[in-house]
Amino acid sequence: MLGRIFYNIIGKKRVLPREQIVAAAPEALLAGEKENGKEKRIFSGEFTRSVRIRQVDAGSCNACEWECTALTNPVYDIQRFGVDFVASPRHADILLVTGPVSVAMAGALKKTWLATPDPKIVIACGDCAKDGGVYKGSYAVTGGVDKVVPVDAFIPGCPPKPAEIAANIMQIVKVFSKIK
Amino acid sequence: MTGNEIYRDVTKEEFPQECSRLFNGGNGRLRTMFAADLRETGEGFCIYAVFSRAQEDRFEILRLKNIEGKDGAYSFPSITPAVPAAHWYERQIADMFGLVPSGHPDLHPLVLHGLYPPEVYPLRRDISPEAIGRQLALEKEDLSPFMEVKGEGIYEIPVGPVHAGIIEPGHFRFSAVGETIYYLDARLFYTHKGVEKLFERTGFRAGVRLAERVSGVSSFAHSAAYCMALERMSGTLLPARAAAIRTLLLEMERLYNHVGDIGNMCAGTGFAVGYAQGASLKERLMALNERLTGSRYLRGVNAPGGVLADPLDEPAGTLREIEDITKEYKSFISFLTDSVSHVERLENAGVLSRPVALSLGATGVAARASGLNDDIRTTHPHLYYNQLVFETHTRMKGDVFARMMLRADEVECSIAIIRSILHKAKGKRIEGSILSEWEAPANKSGQALGYVEGPRGSVFYFVKSAADGTPLRVKPRAASFCNWPLMPFAVHGNIVPDFPLINKSFNLSYSGSDA
Ligand code: SF4
Repeated sequence: MLGRIFYNIIGKKRVLPREQIVAAAPEALLAGEKENGKEKRIFSGEFTRSVRIRQVDAGSCNACEWECTALTNPVYDIQRFGVDFVASPRHADILLVTGPVSVAMAGALKKTWLATPDPKIVIACGDCAKDGGVYKGSYAVTGGVDKVVPVDAFIPGCPPKPAEIAANIMQIVKVFSKIK
Repeated sequence: MTGNEIYRDVTKEEFPQECSRLFNGGNGRLRTMFAADLRETGEGFCIYAVFSRAQEDRFEILRLKNIEGKDGAYSFPSITPAVPAAHWYERQIADMFGLVPSGHPDLHPLVLHGLYPPEVYPLRRDISPEAIGRQLALEKEDLSPFMEVKGEGIYEIPVGPVHAGIIEPGHFRFSAVGETIYYLDARLFYTHKGVEKLFERTGFRAGVRLAERVSGVSSFAHSAAYCMALERMSGTLLPARAAAIRTLLLEMERLYNHVGDIGNMCAGTGFAVGYAQGASLKERLMALNERLTGSRYLRGVNAPGGVLADPLDEPAGTLREIEDITKEYKSFISFLTDSVSHVERLENAGVLSRPVALSLGATGVAARASGLNDDIRTTHPHLYYNQLVFETHTRMKGDVFARMMLRADEVECSIAIIRSILHKAKGKRIEGSILSEWEAPANKSGQALGYVEGPRGSVFYFVKSAADGTPLRVKPRAASFCNWPLMPFAVHGNIVPDFPLINKSFNLSYSGSDA
């Protein structure tokens, strides 16, 4: 069965062109300025072989959630790259935040961020996590993850496809690591 | 009056009686209930309650207008004592409009969590979004108390709003005796994004994008119901091919949701192989969605007046893929039902009784698995459904297993519908354009309902235009909004470790209900 799926989805016939998978150049994914003119380095080389992600839904429409869930299905199987989702922020290296940060979720997001040990990377996943997206201007959203916690990188898309999320996470980890 | 919608103004005294008559007089359903601020048209604050009966294709819409207020405090007679299904609707109205349902048995904030100043009601028309001073949950803790259960050996387990898995936020407060759940207090609306107010600002046409983002996994159901409301409001006729395409894609959406949900229930019992197979199948369906429409969530297809993509232009290839998926699905489902350890966990877990489902206004899978035959594809035929022969399914037991098997029945039904539409398209029996002209009516009488049967149950939209053709009121009602109040009843008496399983068997959308 798996063979067929691979054939159908990411097999020869339908292999996604690279530019389609990696939606943005590594630099474009990053938020904020570079440190001392150099790129920020957070992780040591070994770290990149095993990163743990805590996903936080800060008011998303749930499409981004389900695409993150899809990353662990047998087709994308993100665990094979050493990336996995964990249940507690205390076990996480990365916070993957979706949604425009609703007023009611701001506190929970902040607490989750505080509970995540340093060094950590915050990725805002999806257009509405970036600046509010379609919910921009609503009274009930803060309008972007960076309004509540510092953001290190963005993954564009509404929702970004699982392959894009996976490729971008790998790319981001690389940029933030000593490894070349 | 638009086709099957019958609007009627009632007096304050008649309102509870009429609602009770429509709801309790045999097979009555409360479809949606909402308020509208029509002070600019001289009708004041209004309450609408939409009822229908299973046996006739007719919506009775009662309206209570010019709600009286003293010193800015408005109130109307609560219908909840006679119509329990109105319970959440009335609390929502109180939060969003400041209209107090007097006589409501359990009135406390539902949506706003006490994070806004007390006199601010976001959906009143004279309040601009910028003027709504709010406090982030950061600066202020949510102070409204939870329901407390007292007694020997009873303790509380707080969970959320950030959960262990990749799921949406909500806070669950269990009162348990040992392992057994005595009471569950679910606090939702953490993902409330103020969508209803946004609709008023975006304009009707651009609102489609917003409707698609009320609940991601029901994107198509929401946009289809919204577009249907717009088309009925302006009297636009939907081309037959567009109706067929919407029907096809509604079933595709049901298919990927149901298959995914069946697989997800395996995660609830720790059955990894079943979970992986379900996830793979779902992924195949999502990829098919993308191939048909360019979007895994079927977004960007609906537009007022028709559709923008034509997934029927190459039916033969799609048919082949569907046949292939069906084969794989059949072996998947028989594998699951043959797994005794899995099935044993599902049986008798999370029982939702028929009377509770009926009086609290359950919809969709939750209702049909508890013996309520309520499927608006047949009771209120719309789109292409009246051209198709199919039957709807019910199960009687109301437990997790019934919900799984009901989904399995409906998967087969959806496949049959999809095949039949594709065969018709292949035989060139559904031809013509896919989009007709649409324009917002520029008079204040424009109003209509739109509805579809989405994967989680019926989805309703009400739209009303202002004199200048801009939206005066857009009210989405997601299926999950009706079903969340059932959860405390379904988990009562079950063990805490079964909660994730029961929750997955309903698989409700937080975002849809919170809007
Ligand atoms: S980015 Fe788009 S898909 Fe993702 S949560 Fe926001 S609205 Fe939904």
